[in-house]
Amino acid sequence: MANSLVELLLNSVEKYPEKEVVAHKDRRVSYSRLWEDACRVAGYLRDQNINREDRVGILIENSPEYIAMYYGVLIAGGAAVGLNSGAKARDLVNWLRHSGAKWLFAQGSHPELAEVIKALGKEITVVCVGAPDAQLDASTYVKWEDSIGRTEPSNSIGNITNSNQVAAIIYTSGTTGKPKGVTLSHRNLVANTLSIISYLELQETDRILNVLPFHYSYGNSVLHTHLAVGGSLVLENSLMYPQKILQKMQSEKVTGFSGVPSTYALLLSRTNLKEYDLSSIRYMTQAGGPMAPASVERFTRELPHVRFFVMYGQTEATARLTWLPPEKLVEKLGSIGIPIPGVKIRICDEHDRPVESGVTGEIQVQGGNVMLGYWRDEETTRTVLKDNWLHTGDLAHQDDDGYIYIDGRSSDMIKTGANRVSPKEIEEVILELEGMEEVAAVGIPDEILGQVIKVVVVLSPGVDLSKRAIQAHCHKNLASYKIPKFIEFVSQLPKTSSGKVQRFLLQTESLKN
Amino acid sequence: MSAEQKIRSYILENYLFTDDESALGSDDSFLEKGIIDSTGILEVIHFLEDEFKVRVEDDEMVPENLDSVNNIVQFVAKKQAI
Repeated sequence: MANSLVELLLNSVEKYPEKEVVAHKDRRVSYSRLWEDACRVAGYLRDQNINREDRVGILIENSPEYIAMYYGVLIAGGAAVGLNSGAKARDLVNWLRHSGAKWLFAQGSHPELAEVIKALGKEITVVCVGAPDAQLDASTYVKWEDSIGRTEPSNSIGNITNSNQVAAIIYTSGTTGKPKGVTLSHRNLVANTLSIISYLELQETDRILNVLPFHYSYGNSVLHTHLAVGGSLVLENSLMYPQKILQKMQSEKVTGFSGVPSTYALLLSRTNLKEYDLSSIRYMTQAGGPMAPASVERFTRELPHVRFFVMYGQTEATARLTWLPPEKLVEKLGSIGIPIPGVKIRICDEHDRPVESGVTGEIQVQGGNVMLGYWRDEETTRTVLKDNWLHTGDLAHQDDDGYIYIDGRSSDMIKTGANRVSPKEIEEVILELEGMEEVAAVGIPDEILGQVIKVVVVLSPGVDLSKRAIQAHCHKNLASYKIPKFIEFVSQLPKTSSGKVQRFLLQTESLKN
Repeated sequence: MSAEQKIRSYILENYLFTDDESALGSDDSFLEKGIIDSTGILEVIHFLEDEFKVRVEDDEMVPENLDSVNNIVQFVAKKQAI
């Protein structure tokens, strides 16, 4: 087995040097060009004396540069920290500080970059891609063309000394004191990449239209799997105009597409799939939360030639844990399927004893894709990695054939779109407002997003605070998907006798104001 | 209130959470500036259908019609003229 993703990419570069690997806007980049750029990034980092496992933040939307930077960091033996480009400065600063990143590769026009640089000062070296924002002080960053662009490519992978070395950190939550940085080794990434390739039967002829952000584990897996087989990626960075996505699928003759439930809900509700020639599409994948079985059925009815893969996973397991073979889609509708190759799954009771089929318990997993732990947080790591099993916190049961069905989550996390949001993150930001006595955030059902965020607020006596003031404060401090859609003012929160907020009551007694 | 003022107020209030007019230029791209996302645009369509009594067809859901205050104003005017 390959020791790193770098070896898998290099294999594709050697086999298909002139083949197009990525198309983005009006640019088309070949494997050899991508490799050269990645090696320039590695050369730059080497000149800057990068040590193995040194972290490098990447704050760029999906683009050929993102890919070159990610792989350049790996080639140099560093650890890539792909950052959510929709996040606000306070999260970005928190993640960068927590990761101890020495470099940040950023989109020059990123609206939060000036504030990030102001907060981090000399703690970090910033390399800007593209035209820098007018607010940026030119003495606080270097341009890609003046730094990486002028560096001799370096393709030595001497800094990758073993496959258990840290290769990437993915932050899954942020604002509160302790960010959760899922730490992945080269081995984790390779194991999951090869496993996904095998069940999707990916090959060099595959060409995917990708709308998923690469900083997110699902998008990250789409990227690595297609590079490893010598396939290609067509990048579209927004789903705002679904017709455009379908036009692109048709004109680029893509063979694959990956989405989360809201992606498919949007395509089904606002497009007519039959108006497009989608005959080139071989497979579609869905992960990032449960998709309504009725939507799955409708999709497969409208596109009967497409192999539709329902999947399940966690960032803590690199990305993927289960898949439902398309030929079982109808028979096992609603199931997340069976473990992917190389992964072992058991369903356990609260004492970690495996339960019988039909009984609900927690999904626990083992495999080469299970993370090393949470970055610089042994205590939280110990709560999920116990006795060599990853405790997912997801509740499920298996049928007699071993197919798994999700029954819920044992935690209070909100899942909106494909984003997991900790209620605490939102609550802490809202509690910063003066006159706020108590607040609780919950997810309530939404047709497209699965859940949207509702907060229930208790104001101090005599305080008058509008819904808009609360949302404006969230808008300033939280990524847009974390801004509460609904806000309800109450005189007190429902609590148990021990004082714990009864969140389920807030969900069920929704006013949807 | 003119159609432009109504549209502008709706976007300011629901996506930028402010009444500061300078926060949104008439030609600012909702997509490029990250003002609205894929579900937000569906809400904008519901708003247009309610407020201006027009029906936005699926194939009209394109940036030329919806990606800025000015684009929407022109689109609504065109729809109302039919």
